[in-house]
Amino acid sequence: MVIKKMNSRILNRDVIRKFAIIWVTALVFVGLSATTHNFLTVTNLRNILDQQAFILIVAAFTTLVLISGGFDVSLGAIYVMGPIVAMRVEHATHSTGLMLLAASAVGLICGVFNGLVVAFGKINSFIATLASSFIFFGLGYVFSGQGILTISNFSERKLVTHRIFGITSATWMAVLAIAIVWILLDRTKYGRFVFAIGGNIEAARLAGIRVRQIQIITFALAGFGASFAGTLAAIRATSVQASDDLSVIFAVVAAIIVGGTSIAGGAGSIWRTVIGVFFNAFIINGFYLNGIDPVFQRVIEGVVILLAVGADAFGGSSSD
Amino acid sequence: MRIVVEDLSKRFGATQALRSVSLEIAPGKVHSLVGENGAGKSTLGKIVAGVYSPDSGKLLVDGQEVSFQSPFDSLKKSISLIAQEISLVPKRTVVENVYLGIEDATFSWVNRRKLKERFAELCETSGIFVPGDKLVAELKISEQQKVEILRALARDTKCIIMDEPTARLSAEESSKLLDVIRGLTKQGRSVVYVSHFLNEVLEISDQITIMRDGQLVRTSTPDQETHTSLVEAMTGKSFGSSFPSKQISEIDEKPVLEVKNLYSRNRFTDISMKVKAGEILVLTGLVGSGRSEVLRAIFGADKFDSGEVFLEGKKLNLTGPNEAIKAGIIMLSESRRDQGILALRSVRENISIPYLSHLSKLGLINRRKESDFSTKYTVETGVRAASNEVRISSLSGGNQQKALFARALAGNPKLLIADEPTRGVDVASKRAIYDLLASHSGKGMGILVVSSELEEVVGIAHRVLVMSAGKIVKELTGSEITESSVLAASFEGMDTLNGN
Repeated sequence: MVIKKMNSRILNRDVIRKFAIIWVTALVFVGLSATTHNFLTVTNLRNILDQQAFILIVAAFTTLVLISGGFDVSLGAIYVMGPIVAMRVEHATHSTGLMLLAASAVGLICGVFNGLVVAFGKINSFIATLASSFIFFGLGYVFSGQGILTISNFSERKLVTHRIFGITSATWMAVLAIAIVWILLDRTKYGRFVFAIGGNIEAARLAGIRVRQIQIITFALAGFGASFAGTLAAIRATSVQASDDLSVIFAVVAAIIVGGTSIAGGAGSIWRTVIGVFFNAFIINGFYLNGIDPVFQRVIEGVVILLAVGADAFGGSSSD
Repeated sequence: MRIVVEDLSKRFGATQALRSVSLEIAPGKVHSLVGENGAGKSTLGKIVAGVYSPDSGKLLVDGQEVSFQSPFDSLKKSISLIAQEISLVPKRTVVENVYLGIEDATFSWVNRRKLKERFAELCETSGIFVPGDKLVAELKISEQQKVEILRALARDTKCIIMDEPTARLSAEESSKLLDVIRGLTKQGRSVVYVSHFLNEVLEISDQITIMRDGQLVRTSTPDQETHTSLVEAMTGKSFGSSFPSKQISEIDEKPVLEVKNLYSRNRFTDISMKVKAGEILVLTGLVGSGRSEVLRAIFGADKFDSGEVFLEGKKLNLTGPNEAIKAGIIMLSESRRDQGILALRSVRENISIPYLSHLSKLGLINRRKESDFSTKYTVETGVRAASNEVRISSLSGGNQQKALFARALAGNPKLLIADEPTRGVDVASKRAIYDLLASHSGKGMGILVVSSELEEVVGIAHRVLVMSAGKIVKELTGSEITESSVLAASFEGMDTLNGN
């Protein structure tokens, strides 16, 4: 009886810690709803959702990389370089389908390149992708001819802005990406292997997992996600240029880490990433609605990330 | 220094790790703590060393009651703990490690020459010699342990607590460590010796305290105890023998594994052997003689330069462990934690991971099938866990190892390779693992084991190959297999090699 009672108490503490980010995000949501005019409106929430669609797609696939124990800095460069190539293809063929196909192909090729370097070059993935991000970034300039590329047919924007049940098609694609990654992680052999190599790469190899294959697939999926999402974002913005913001990868990694997926690999989940993205989105939205200088946003965001990582380190939830 | 422990209790969550334990550690004596995993011996050691603080009870040092809040406090009272895992800075020299934090320094300038002089003096007085300029990473584990001991002595430790110091040492290195311990007690220092190796305990101890389920069973002296009496007191059960009987008649003459002239530069050379169906072949020798390297090469985990490996007469060209598993070879590696378990995953997932292809369709895992599959083998190997859904790292060492056996046996391999199959495993689990090996060899599986524990080598092997400096130097069969013949062969090899 006593033991049972104690167990339930321990369980409760674990539950609180395990789902901490949910409670905190809910708290932010409730707090903003109560204090900030215009936060809890259909338009505002819809806006948040639509703004986060592209980040969510990148973050979903990047989650795989982090759980596998890797890191991919080059996704920021792929997010810009992919749409440049896709736009070139669109200009040449006037085909939306071929544009998206090109976006996918570029992402996969870049990702496979990263995966090969990490798997066979035995180079730390952070360093390898830091190097490759320079390559992709440079190629972006080459392919764009250093100019701004604009979509030739503005009706193409419908592809991302068309609303189904009040939500944009871009958001629906994000939902699809999340569902795909969830199934991959939770239901498939591949997902098991991703967790295994992230947790202990040598033990995984000795258990018969083809580690390199899994690494290459993982980087390829992340490259695909970044290039595809980047292209959707470019279509929405109607243009892309090589000097566009590469920092999307930082927002993505920040969201994943805030969600509680371990940067050390081997632990994490897609719902954490989704919550992490919305946590950041609510905070930024709150600043915006309260008219706080965007300069402070960055500072506060940084503090929040530190807190999240610190909580992970002290909570020790992912160790042993 | 005399340490007295009175009515010490400690609880971790739902587990009562210690229940009012009392004992006395006399100066200049070796006091051993024995018990199964989870018996509370490490907890007791850690309380004395200030790592944990007790829930109730007293700790007296030379008659004075103390309450340690951290290892730093116990160190000030001249008590230090040498943990199972080496805790040195690998990329620094021996001298730097020994004096880390207590350097002679003027305005944080470390006087290197003076440190070296002090180090030489320390080696002289303690009788423990380690090259001071070497990086710790370059040392063998046994030498790293000496550095740990020197580090404790540099702080003028009066009582050293050693937790499983010989778990990762070869027989020869262990006996050297025991000499070092004897030297320490001669200087009036006391040693608390926590170990699974009962023969060592009987050899070195002045006092032996046996623990079970957090309680003290009895404290006695080695002349009052035998190997069997210790095991019975530790487990509360009586075992006829530590080992199952050997079934030799079943051995098939057709080899499961044949290795011809295997060579890997700087690792091993000219390795030829056969493992027959139904046979347990034990590969032994000193640590560093290339035993594990041979196993890894056969399993495809490491490449080799030349030679051939045949499984049931078919030549293998493995590019990795995944192909070995497909062909019918499974290996349990030497280090359970670093190369065995997937610590963050459940027992179920740990067992099914190599076989997911058979348990899934179009890449989607059939959970039901997987769960049944894993359960079947945890039952067979007797894994004790709250459920197969708990993290494998929450299991005791013995049960983790049994789970890894479940993983291996689930593949129904033709050849099972096990590197130190019972390292860090409690007595009851050891016996269970030996039973598994015996029963599967009885069913015609070929089994290749690497072991450093002489008792185990003699207890389970149908045939023994002794390795030394990367070569097989001796083959022993049947009644030739004794602890002394194995040990002699291990050293002979060294001698002839040095003679060259």
